[in-house]
Order: sequence, then structure tokens, then C-alpha cells
Amino acid sequence: MSLLFPLLFLGVFAFALCRKVKLYDAFSEGVKGAVPLLLSLFPSLAAVLILSELFSESGLSEMLARLLAPVLEALGVPKELAPLVLIKPFSGSGAMAFLNDIITTHGADSYLARCASVVYGSSETTFYLSALYFAGAKKVSPLPVVIALFCNLLAAVLGCLFCRIL
Amino acid sequence: MNGIFAAMFALSALLFLIFDPSGFLPALLKGGEKAVSLALSLMAAYCVWLGFFSVMEKSGLNRLLARGLRPVLSRLFRSKDERALSAACCSVSANLLSLPGAPTPLGIEAVRRFLEKGNTFGANMLFVLNAAGIQLMSTTAITFRLAAGSLTPADTVLPTLLATICSAVLAVTLTFLAQKRPRGKPKRA
Repeated sequence: MSLLFPLLFLGVFAFALCRKVKLYDAFSEGVKGAVPLLLSLFPSLAAVLILSELFSESGLSEMLARLLAPVLEALGVPKELAPLVLIKPFSGSGAMAFLNDIITTHGADSYLARCASVVYGSSETTFYLSALYFAGAKKVSPLPVVIALFCNLLAAVLGCLFCRIL
Repeated sequence: MNGIFAAMFALSALLFLIFDPSGFLPALLKGGEKAVSLALSLMAAYCVWLGFFSVMEKSGLNRLLARGLRPVLSRLFRSKDERALSAACCSVSANLLSLPGAPTPLGIEAVRRFLEKGNTFGANMLFVLNAAGIQLMSTTAITFRLAAGSLTPADTVLPTLLATICSAVLAVTLTFLAQKRPRGKPKRA
């Protein structure tokens, strides 16, 4: 896996050199786009992160997790993972901290730790991502977000199932 | 998004008001702080990947890639814009490999190009693909479990892969079903 990056860059740059591309110029021209991109994203980024901080610090996420736990358990997702399922759409770093917590408290090779790894790996920071992707759009339909959240939930349920049978 | 924001903000603020009024502002500020530090690390990733992508584009590698996959890509995203398609293609493959920081700037570029042409479908499809997409390797979980003394840290790769294949197929199907009507009509803006 660690070989991938050097090989990827070497391969593409070598190909570019064969095509007589001015590497330095081309690369720095691409970087030029980074500043305006970030500036255009920053407002949504900040709003979502402030919201997710409030969400977890206020205890709202815990309350929702407690409400959600029986539902998830009925679907085969252990109730200890409810906060992870809930936090992941908003905050990647929050979910990461929670994942590490489960792994260290329940043991690295426990069923819970494996489930948590799969739930973490198969879901995405959907709200955060939608804020970034549709930051410039005039009208955002909630449809893709709903589809993505639903599919992430399905992946969590299936992932826990696969953890049990594989 | 506006509705969700309002509801969640109000509920959280209410809880703070009842249980911990003095914790409210620090929580807000902590969120802002996180946004700033995340923006800096995103910026670093954007510099690297946008530079890399520009080299790919100048060398024509992008066009080759997009041309090879065009039949699939143009149907999937309902677009003929070559630059948008190649950015979308790179974004999805970067997401597949979980290259840190790479899928987002490329995805945003593709989404903006799609939306410029009024192609909401393509933008939604790309978003759904990246948000519920297939994961070949989730390095974070493997690293954590290895650090905690796991003997078989990679045994989650297969379940994750299978689960995400199912979710990706469902996501693509739902997106197609939801917007089945061809959106040929010109958009207002």
C-alpha cells in the first residue's frame, strides 16, 4: 500500500515528461486553484463543524444514540456502536476517536472492534461531504444526502452481519 | 440542509441552556477552531492533489482515461463534458483507494462543472458514489487495531468491501430511480 503513492506520482510524472509537459509550470498552475477552492468552501466547512461540535458537546448525540440503539440492535448492529453510526455523517475525527475508544476498551480482535472498524470504514462523513460538494450550488435537494445516509446504514448492518459469518 | 441546521442547532442550544449554559460558547469556538485547523490540512492536501491532477491533465493522461471509460462514465453521469468526467473518474478512483484528501477537491471540481451545465443528476450521482462508495482499504481502522495489538488487523477488509459494494449498488440504483425522467429541459440559471 505504501508503494502506491511513489509509484503513482512517478508513473504520472514520467508519462508527463514523455509528453513534454513542463512539470513545474503544470504543477504550480494546479496549486493555484487550491486557495480559491478553499475560500469558497470555508463558510460551509465552518458551519458544519461548529454544528457537529455543538451536536456532540450538548449531549444531543448521546440522547439520540440511546434512542437509536434499540433500532440498530434489532437490525443486528451492536448497541455500543450506535454513537459511531450517528457521529460519522457529521465528523470524521469524532468517529475516529470513538472507533479507537471501542478498539482499546473491548480488545483489538473482539467482535465489537471488528464491527466498529467495518462500520467506520464503510460509512462516509455524508453531511460534511454534502456541504463541501454543494457549497456553490444555488438549490440543493436533500435527496442525494438521504440516499447516501440510507446506504451507509445498510452498509453498517451488512458489515456487522458479514463480521459474524466470515 | 437549512432545515437540518436549524433543528439541530436549536435542539443543541436548548440542551446547553438547560444543563450547561456556560459550555455553549466554548463549544462553538471549539468548532470554529476545528474548522480552521481542518481548513489548513485540507489546503495542504488540495495543493498536492490539484497540482498532481493538473500534471495529469496537461499530459493528456486524463483524456486517455476518460476516453477509455467514456461509455460507462457518460451514461453514469449523463454528461459529455470531458474535463468534468475525467475529474469525476479520478475522484471516484481516489475514493476507492481511500487516498487521503484526494477525492474531495476533484469531486468538487467535477460537481461544479456538472452544475454549470445544469446537470444536477451527474452532481448527485458523483456525491452518492463518493459518500456511499466502495472501499477497498480502510487504513485508519487497520492502523488502530494494529496499534491495539490485533493479530489479524486486516480481517475487516473483506466485510467492508462486501458491505460497501452492496451499498454502492443500491445508491446508484436509487439515484437512477429517483431521477428517472430525462432532464433535458434547460435550467433557469
